[in-house]
Formats: sequence, C-alpha cells, structure tokens
Amino acid sequence: MSSVDQRPTGTIYEQVQATPEFRAFRGRLRRFVFPMTVVFLVWYLAYVALASYAPGFMAIRVAGNINVGLLIGLGQFVSTFVITQLYVRFAEREIDPAATHLRGLVEEGNR
Amino acid sequence: MTVNSTAIASLTAIVLVAVISAVIGSIGHRTRLTSDFLVASRSVPSRLNAGAISGEYLSAASFLGIAGLILVDGADALWYPVGYCAGYLALLLFVAAPLRRSGAYTVPDFADARLASPGLRKVCTAFVLIIGWLYLLPQLQGAGLTVSIVTGLPQWIGSAAAGAIVLATVALGGMRSVTFVQAFQYWLKLTAVAIPVVIGLVLLLGSGHGFDRDEPPAFRDQTSVAVKTPVVLQARLAVDVVARGTVDGAPVDGPMRWVAGSEHTVSPGTDLQFRTGDPVPTTKGAPADDESWLRPLSGSEPHQLLATYSLIIATFLGTMGLPHVLGRFYTNSDGRAARRSAVVVLAMLGGFYVLVTLMGVLSRFYTPQLLVSGNDAAVLLLPTALLGGGVAGAVLGGIVAAGAWAAFLSTSSGLLVSLASVVVTDMMPGRARGRSLTGFPLATILAGVPPVAVALAPTGLNFAEAVALVFAVAASTFCPLLVLGIWWRGLTAPGAVAGVLAGGVVSALAVVVSLVLPGGESGWAVLLYRPAIISVPLAFLVMVLVSVATRASRPPDAGQLLLRLHAPERLGLSRDRLDDRV
Repeated sequence: MSSVDQRPTGTIYEQVQATPEFRAFRGRLRRFVFPMTVVFLVWYLAYVALASYAPGFMAIRVAGNINVGLLIGLGQFVSTFVITQLYVRFAEREIDPAATHLRGLVEEGNR
Repeated sequence: MTVNSTAIASLTAIVLVAVISAVIGSIGHRTRLTSDFLVASRSVPSRLNAGAISGEYLSAASFLGIAGLILVDGADALWYPVGYCAGYLALLLFVAAPLRRSGAYTVPDFADARLASPGLRKVCTAFVLIIGWLYLLPQLQGAGLTVSIVTGLPQWIGSAAAGAIVLATVALGGMRSVTFVQAFQYWLKLTAVAIPVVIGLVLLLGSGHGFDRDEPPAFRDQTSVAVKTPVVLQARLAVDVVARGTVDGAPVDGPMRWVAGSEHTVSPGTDLQFRTGDPVPTTKGAPADDESWLRPLSGSEPHQLLATYSLIIATFLGTMGLPHVLGRFYTNSDGRAARRSAVVVLAMLGGFYVLVTLMGVLSRFYTPQLLVSGNDAAVLLLPTALLGGGVAGAVLGGIVAAGAWAAFLSTSSGLLVSLASVVVTDMMPGRARGRSLTGFPLATILAGVPPVAVALAPTGLNFAEAVALVFAVAASTFCPLLVLGIWWRGLTAPGAVAGVLAGGVVSALAVVVSLVLPGGESGWAVLLYRPAIISVPLAFLVMVLVSVATRASRPPDAGQLLLRLHAPERLGLSRDRLDDRV
C-alpha cells in the first residue's frame, strides 16, 4: 500500500492552502460546526439535568397523559432534525460557492 | 387452532420477506470489479440511498428492543432512540463529507490513507471485526426470538436459520443488490410498526385508559409467566401469585402472597401465575406505577444521571464508528449528496422511532406481563393482545413478524458486507482478492460464522441495551480516530494506535465484565455497564498526548491531506483509492 507517492504533491495545493480565501473558507466551516455542536450538546444535557434537578417542572401536565418531560423528550427528535437541516442549508449556501471559487484558483494555477 | 393460524401467517410472512429480498438481490447481481461489489459503484441516487441507510440502520435491536425498554422504563428509555438518531447528526457534522472525499471505504482504509501505518491498519481491522461481531449477536438472537415466539420452536433454530440465510445472501450478492433490498426493507419495517400502532391507539383511546394513575398496570387476563433469566421483582401493591420453581432462594410450589412494597428474587425456570386485574410487579429499579413511568429519572435505580449521560455519549459518538454505517455513506456520489441523504435519513429514523416508542406505550397496557421478564417480545406479542387470536390477529402478527425479520436481515447483511470487505482487503493474501473476487464469498463465511456460533446461546440482556454496549466500544475507538484524523493535523500513527487501544480495551473489558458479573449498585457497576463516559475521553486524551509526544513522526503531507478532505470534490483534489487498487 504505497499511498504516500499517490498523494497530490503539486505546489499549487500548498499555494491554495496559504491563500486568505482558503483560510476564510476553513474558518467559516469551523465557526459553524463547533458552536452548533455546543448548542445541541447543551440542549441534550440540559434535558437530563432538568429531569434530575427539576422533576417538578418535568412532571407538569400539559394535556391528558402528556407532561413537560415527555414533550421535551420527543422534542429531541425534532431538534436533531432541525439542526441537520440548518447544517445542510449552511453547507450549500456558504461552503459550496466558496469551494467553487477556490477551484477557480487551482485551475488558474495549473494553467 | 388460534396459535396455528398466527404461526402460519407469521411464518409465511417471514418466508416471503426472505424470498422477495433474495429476488431483488439477484436482479442486481451483475458485478465484476471490487468497487462494484463493495460500494455499489457509488451510483446510488441519494433518496434511494437514504432509504437504504435507514433500512440498514434500523436493526432487530431497534425494532424489538426499544419498545421493551419503553414498556419498562418509560420516559427514560427515550434516550435510546434519541441517541441513535443524534448519532447521525454527529456523523454528518464531523465525518460524513470529509470521509466520503478521502476515497477510503472502510476505517482501516481511512487510517491507512491518513497515516500510512500498517500497525494502525491492523488495529483498526481488529476493532472493525470486534464491533461487527458484537453488533451481530443481538440481531441474530432477535431473529431467533421472532421465530421462537411465532412457532414455538427453540430460539437457537431461528438464530441458526437466520445466520445461514444472511451468509448466503451476502456471499452471492454483494452490496449493489443489498442497496435495493434495504430500501425495500425500510418501508416494510415502517409499515410493520405503523399498522399496529394506529390500531392500538384507536383501541386505547376508545377504552378511555390513561397512564396518569398512581398505580402499576394490571394483568388483563389470568396470566402465566415463565422466568428464563434471574430477576428481582418489586411488588408495589400486594399481589397473590401461584409459583412453581425457586423464589427468594427457596423451592416453592403453590400460592404465595407478595405484600405491598416487598421484593422477591425469582430464579430461572420458575413459572408464576397471576390473576386477572391484579397489579403487575415490575423488575427492581424500574418505575413501579404509571404516573412515575411518565416522568424522566423517576425509577429507584442508583446513579441514573451518570448512566444517562454515559449512554448519550456512547450513542451520540458511536454511530460514526459502526462499520456498516460508514460503508453505506460511500455509496453517495459526493459529499454534497452525503449531506442531503443524511437529512432524509434523520426524518426516516425519527418517524420509525416515534412509532416504536408508541408500541412500547401500547404494550404497557396490552401486554403488561412482559414487565415481569423478557420485555424484548413486546412488539411481537402486541398484535394478538390487540386483536385476539383470530384471523385479524394472525394477519397483524404476520405483518409484525415480517418487519422484525426485515430488520434483522437488513442490518445483518449490511454488517456482514462491511466485515467481509475488511477481511478481503486486510486479511487475505493478494492472489485471493484479484479481479475475479473469488475471495469475497470465502471472506463472508470467515466473517460470519463466529457470531452465528456464539448467538446460539441466549443472553438475558435487552437487545437495545446490548447494542448500546457496542456503541460504547465504537465511540471509544473509531470516533476519536475519525474526528482527530479529519480535524487535527497533529495526529500521528503511534498516537492513533495508543488511543484506539486504550479506549477499545477499556470499553470492551467493561462490557465483558458487566455481562459476566451480576450488576452491583455502586457507581463503579454503573460505569462498567455504561463505560463511555470514561473510555471516550480517555481515548481522546491518550491519542492527543501520544501524538504530541511523537511529533516527529507526523506525516509530512498531513496539511495537504486535510485540504483534500475538506475541499469539495469539484476542486479535483480527491482521488479514489479504489482506482489506485484495481
């Protein structure tokens, strides 16, 4: 498995990597992915913390058999789905155009 | 007569599922190159692929186990389905698109592309096999339980038959066929839970029953329960029981009165008989009455908070380390398609899990005797409990049994494809894996026989819990490797090996110890049973520390590789590792 010599080695890649556009691109991705992770982790862990330290709140009846705890619990499915959609929309609006721009840079460099 | 009609309907349905799967599979069976065989040429449309991903992911453990856990633990058990879903989100955010661009299609391949270390490759191969085998066990046992409940045959016959069918399908078909089969099986599974849930909810709402009472559920008929694994029961209200076997360490044969608030240890092989309308005793630690069953963290089990956090970490980070899930993502045409199919997958998974949760709620009313022991059967017994043993009950039972069988088939075949592909590329000599692929069927047998053999002996663990243990091992090994490998250029091969070994050995040992030794009540026992909260941070820490200590062996082209992983494929930086190989 001689993968080392199969990797692209042209200096154009190093040049692209050094451009401010590429740095901005990578920064944008990280600024979205990591805070989003923190948000949903906090949301999941908060549910457990509420269940443990505020059982009275979780036991409040909303309608019939349904209490606040169940609503938030089932809400986790919804929030997971919403966050995923946010990410995909972000990726298509912000990441893909920036990547197309970078591609232009690479092609110019190769010419 | 009634038993027979249900058994015949269910068996017919099971055979139909197996036959239809085989037919769809053989139509797609036109394969030549390695890449065709293993990842379906990467030409699967993203909607179809989402169906296949969901079909493959929703295992027998999900189909059978979750309803059982909801039945016993109520709101707390929601964490299993939520975690199984949220794991996909973590996979999508951190891993999906970059990994798709790496051009590698198994974890050992990724490790090799990123760090070019034969030692790391071997370690990864070993853990792919361990995780895959552990994951196959509850699937095979679920298939055995399904056959045993609908026919009355011993469970091991069903497990053995299921193993033989999956081995044959995968050895002959490869993944192209499996893709179509699995998309079909997702919809079958969804139908199989949707129909009983709709019927059950209509009946339940019509009966005016609510779960807000401060009482345990009651037996609906005179009920006999055969205890098969050791269990401690708590009687919230006084109950009269006719026992034959061993209770509280002494032999009994006749009526007993369990007073309110008492606890009783029941040994395997004991038969318990309860009268209609009597309160159902629950397993120790579970919420004893309906009202607290609806509230989170209301049981009397110690260290519930710790256990829950650990479960969240395992399921959340473990999904990305499951071999069949990763393999399936490579069938997307590019990173963008991988992202899109992940959204559809989450909607599909969410819908299924909500329905299965409702199955658990219904079974608390209709099959409360499962609270006493063996809650895995909740989904399978619900149809007859809802509609009786007549034709309607038999048809519904057949639909559900078909769904359970589909759940087993899809996950097991996906897992087996991943395992066999790892065996082909990493454990067989070069000649055997040439263009003709004579090696693949052989690799399938090698990868599949050990778990089938082990699955013949039953375990007392709920299927969804058993799967959660495997998630802990995956989260402690491949999650750190993938996340750090994709996002941190400082990772070195020695660091990766040390981290994977540290997390893997600690979590796998904890899992084995907790399976062998009966659970204690201390915080340590909880950690053995739910090791992720310790083993995952440990794996990350070891990986980072050893990498920093071995800075010198950092691959010189790590920066370029990361660029390749994070830049979309239209940059033209990606190269297909399969192209290199064929």
